[in-house]
Amino acid sequence: MKIKLNSIFVDNQDKALAFYTDVLGFKKCNDIPLGEFRWLTVTSPDGHPDVELVFEPNANPAAKTYQEALFAQGIPITAFEVDDIDAEVKRLKQHDVRFTMDATDAGTVKLAIFADTCGNLIQIYQLVRG
Amino acid sequence: MIHPNLLNRLCHARDLLRTCEAAPLSVHEVARQSGFSCFHFIRLFKAVFGETPHQYQVQAQIEKAKQLLILTDSSVTEVCMAVGLSSLGSFSALFSRRVGMSPSAFQQRYRPAPGEPRQLPPSLIPGCFSLMGNTLMK
Repeated sequence: MKIKLNSIFVDNQDKALAFYTDVLGFKKCNDIPLGEFRWLTVTSPDGHPDVELVFEPNANPAAKTYQEALFAQGIPITAFEVDDIDAEVKRLKQHDVRFTMDATDAGTVKLAIFADTCGNLIQIYQLVRG
Repeated sequence: MIHPNLLNRLCHARDLLRTCEAAPLSVHEVARQSGFSCFHFIRLFKAVFGETPHQYQVQAQIEKAKQLLILTDSSVTEVCMAVGLSSLGSFSALFSRRVGMSPSAFQQRYRPAPGEPRQLPPSLIPGCFSLMGNTLMK
């Protein structure tokens, strides 16, 4: 048994693919049309090549409610690790990405939170070497 | 940076835009009620949610129309009015462009047969990872 897929709900799969590839820099892995939706995944060139992030449509009203409630409470839906968070925040801001938390020291990590344009907040963090 | 108070106002504005009634609020009115200047509101909304308030509102109308077409006995004209669009012609054209079929074709395809429970078909509300199963079957 292994962890191979991580999924997040998105309000629009086209928007998700554009943001996660063009802005965040992930790479499209699977894109298979299935009726109204697609089986759509990306991988991270900087991370493990075998782990895919799945963009699940939030068409189910329960998914939408869950997603919107977490967003309104300011809670990130997942987190990605970065090597240099200050550089990453600066780079993303140049793409007009909006942050709900700027790079902040939190003990063993430095973290920041931004909106992913698909209805989610995403946390990025850098491990702080002690 | 978006502070919690600003995030709340933005979420409130999103709720207002999604409220589909016979007379939907204008983007200008939603901005005013949420305490934004119109220009600032459109720019911030687009950066956070990936589409303009107007685009979001239209998409919400389409989604609401899809539900009404399946879950109620309303005619296409009644659905058009219920989501706040006054011209049947432009509603049909907009719906066809976004959904890939006309409202009446959509209704015929997805509305349950008489006597069947009124619910959205599974193909329109995929569950976790159910899409993957379909890819493997192909």
